[in-house]
Amino acid sequence: MFLGRVMGEVWSTRKADDLAGKRLLVVEALDERRDPSAPKVTPVVCVDPLGAGAGQRVIVAFGKAARVACGGDGDFAFEAAIVGIVDDFDVPQAPASWRAEWPGDAGGRP
Amino acid sequence: MMVGTVVGTVWSTVKDETLSGLRFVIVQPFTLSGESAETLVAVDGLGAGIGERVLVVFGRAARHRIGRGHDVGFQSAVAGIVDRMELADGRTIGPVRAQDTQGAQLPRT
Repeated sequence: MFLGRVMGEVWSTRKADDLAGKRLLVVEALDERRDPSAPKVTPVVCVDPLGAGAGQRVIVAFGKAARVACGGDGDFAFEAAIVGIVDDFDVPQAPASWRAEWPGDAGGRP
Repeated sequence: MMVGTVVGTVWSTVKDETLSGLRFVIVQPFTLSGESAETLVAVDGLGAGIGERVLVVFGRAARHRIGRGHDVGFQSAVAGIVDRMELADGRTIGPVRAQDTQGAQLPRT
């Protein structure tokens, strides 16, 4: 599970049948890796059963937790889902980017 | 699940018998800052062509896509071909397509 920010949405017509009707969001982890030698982090595409919007911070779960959040533990052609929309957090050590209204903003955006 | 661009196909004759008849594509993932990450091989049952962006799933979801039960010797598969992406702040995942929109159109909450 990780905290991320919704960065956008993806649409697909030719896809697995069990992805039909599922909203797919692109989520970037909040925890930025400052070490340039660290592996590059690709964004995660998650099924969104909750209706999260662009810019919102969300909790992403994988595997069984993701399947259960999307209505069952059967065979699904996805392994990541948004299981919570973050209202607020209290992380004294968190970098300013966690609080920024939008990535790259210094002090929030109108 | 992640988005990547199909950069090629790979063939193999001598392979695990659970993999016979499957099509393998090589997928190039990208970060949101536009850097390319390590390529990976995925089973493709949708007929994705070179240059198309695909959704790749892993583990149980991939074995489900392959459709040969859960004792299959592979763990990544194509689950969808991307038509369109809408990303914030001019970010992209791989080459931008005409149908993609960025930034301004994206409703913010």
